Amino acid sequence: MKKVLSLILMLAMAVTMLTGCGSSKSTYELALVTDVGTIDDKSFNQGAWEGLEKYAKENNKTYKYYQPAEATDASYIETIALAVKGGAKLIVCPGYKFETALYEVQTTYPDVDFIILDGEPHSEDYSEYRTDSNVYAIYYAEQQAGFLAGYAAVKEGYTKLGFMGGMAVPAVMNYGYGFVSGAETAAKELGLESVDVKYHYTGGFIATPEAQTMAASWYQNGTEVIFGCGGAVGNSVMAAAEANNGKVIGVDVDQSPESDTVILSALKMLSNSVYDGITAFYAGSFPGGQVVTLDATSNAVGLPMDTAKLEKFTKADYETLYAKLLAGEYTPFKNTDAESVSDLPLSIVAVEEVK
Amino acid sequence: MSALYFLFQQTMFFTIPLLIVALGGMFSERSGVVNIALEGIMTMGAFTSILFINLFQGTLSGQPLLILAILIAGLTGVVFSLLHAYASINMKADQTISGTALNLFAPAFAIFVARQIQGVQQINFNNTFRIAKVPVLGDIPVIGDLFFKNTYITTYLGFIILIVSAIVLYKTKFGLRLRACGEHPQAADSVGVNVYKIRYAGVMISGCLGGIGGLVFVIPTSTNFNATVAGYGFLAIAVLIFGQWKPVRILFAALFFGLMKTIAASYSGIPFLVSLGISSNLYKMIPYIATLVVLAFTSKKSQAPRAAGVPYDKGAR
Repeated sequence: MKKVLSLILMLAMAVTMLTGCGSSKSTYELALVTDVGTIDDKSFNQGAWEGLEKYAKENNKTYKYYQPAEATDASYIETIALAVKGGAKLIVCPGYKFETALYEVQTTYPDVDFIILDGEPHSEDYSEYRTDSNVYAIYYAEQQAGFLAGYAAVKEGYTKLGFMGGMAVPAVMNYGYGFVSGAETAAKELGLESVDVKYHYTGGFIATPEAQTMAASWYQNGTEVIFGCGGAVGNSVMAAAEANNGKVIGVDVDQSPESDTVILSALKMLSNSVYDGITAFYAGSFPGGQVVTLDATSNAVGLPMDTAKLEKFTKADYETLYAKLLAGEYTPFKNTDAESVSDLPLSIVAVEEVK
Repeated sequence: MSALYFLFQQTMFFTIPLLIVALGGMFSERSGVVNIALEGIMTMGAFTSILFINLFQGTLSGQPLLILAILIAGLTGVVFSLLHAYASINMKADQTISGTALNLFAPAFAIFVARQIQGVQQINFNNTFRIAKVPVLGDIPVIGDLFFKNTYITTYLGFIILIVSAIVLYKTKFGLRLRACGEHPQAADSVGVNVYKIRYAGVMISGCLGGIGGLVFVIPTSTNFNATVAGYGFLAIAVLIFGQWKPVRILFAALFFGLMKTIAASYSGIPFLVSLGISSNLYKMIPYIATLVVLAFTSKKSQAPRAAGVPYDKGAR
């Protein structure tokens, strides 16, 4: 009985393997490997996928996404190998999680090009950073996105702001410093006497009652809008805002569907930069080997004005502001400018850093 | 004065889940089974109940939905805790290890299932459960502001669970047997008490309360559930020890922890506390230092159930 059973099992396996081989004839030139999440995660995967899909549809290219089994380097490398086998010429890796995997595969597949968002290839112990000529590494000028949000908030009439970040890592600090700079600039233009900003890093990227309580206490004490800048920390801020009639500014992607309290989001335009990268690839000018920080000049940061819940700060205002930012009229502070936010040279905005 | 009311209301968001989960832990430990799986049980309870809210918030809302979710959270906790009960009672496994296994399993399971069902690990929910003001009662001066504004029915549930727990533990036959099994199971067995059954009951009650605690923890904290309860299951164990395995002391321990956590988190928004100029780190440390001090002074005559953590073996005398 056992023998018969194992024979049947073996046959079944052989058959499925054969059929598996039979159907993998078609190839896909453009590939995206997700960071385990799906392409509708309202975050990095989705943003990158939208850019890739847009280009592929407009230019009639074959495209496909691959989802790794787990969030480990081994699994990423395996999935990238699968994409290469599937005929991929360009692979998009959305997120810093691919940094170490990409460090290895960039030498394994010198004929395949890669785009990595929000990171650059480096060895596991951070001892070596190397971006080969087939890799295009993209960072974003978060301080500009933060600047736009801070500016819009003060122009909208808010003078008591809050910033609640995750950990004090460069990306989060850039957002925070930019946010403060934006508030300062708008306050100057409006001739305001003072703008208060409460500023805090929670030390993690998860929702906690501590973050909720802190946000609630700020709202209670008069803070009108808080920039929730650290993954799920933002959700704690939203929970506090819902209970205390506060407002929230979201981060990275348009977070307005998550809560009615989100009036605005500071965006990284992932789909734009992926689209531009692919365009360059097919034009033969792929910026391989480069590590760039994309900013307003390539339309890589912005605010989603269509879903914004603002009254005084209009779309026209936004366009004027963006043009000025492009013209280099504003240079928001970034993380390398000061060790701590209270060291920034501000005249109108009073930052109270909560430790 | 309003700052005081605010502090108190926020303290409840910390205290109630700690209280409920610590009481759950009490039932398990007083029956003789150490339950460090509370963190995992909370995660599971929060997971299924938030998923339920997510799926049914189109048709239901407000308190009926919350009550159903509480039932589901409790049920999930019971089922999940059975794994711990089976391992530690029937299989006589090391209770710390089986508890740790559940703690590791729960978040992984929650993430996996959430992804299978909806593609994303975060489960969103609309918070329609907050009670801005309880009619009539909320108008009572002082007490109305303290207890009947900006609250959840779970706050009252927490106090009900506390009272019921105290009565069950000290005034019922079941409570006596439960305590006996935690102190000297052989003696309990010799007078005809089924130690296995009692211990199963203890673990299942802790599972039920742990699961509910998970839901109670998540609701006011976030707008989605991301497979974590941020270590509050472990904190509840600290509350349990600080409360010396006794219901009323557990309440005070939970209040103390909750108040310190609230002050540490919210002092920046309360002018009075800012003017005191005490570092928030101090507030963060106090509960833990206090726990250590209490342990140091009471360890000689510790109230811990004698047989907690020791698998019961009928053959051993």
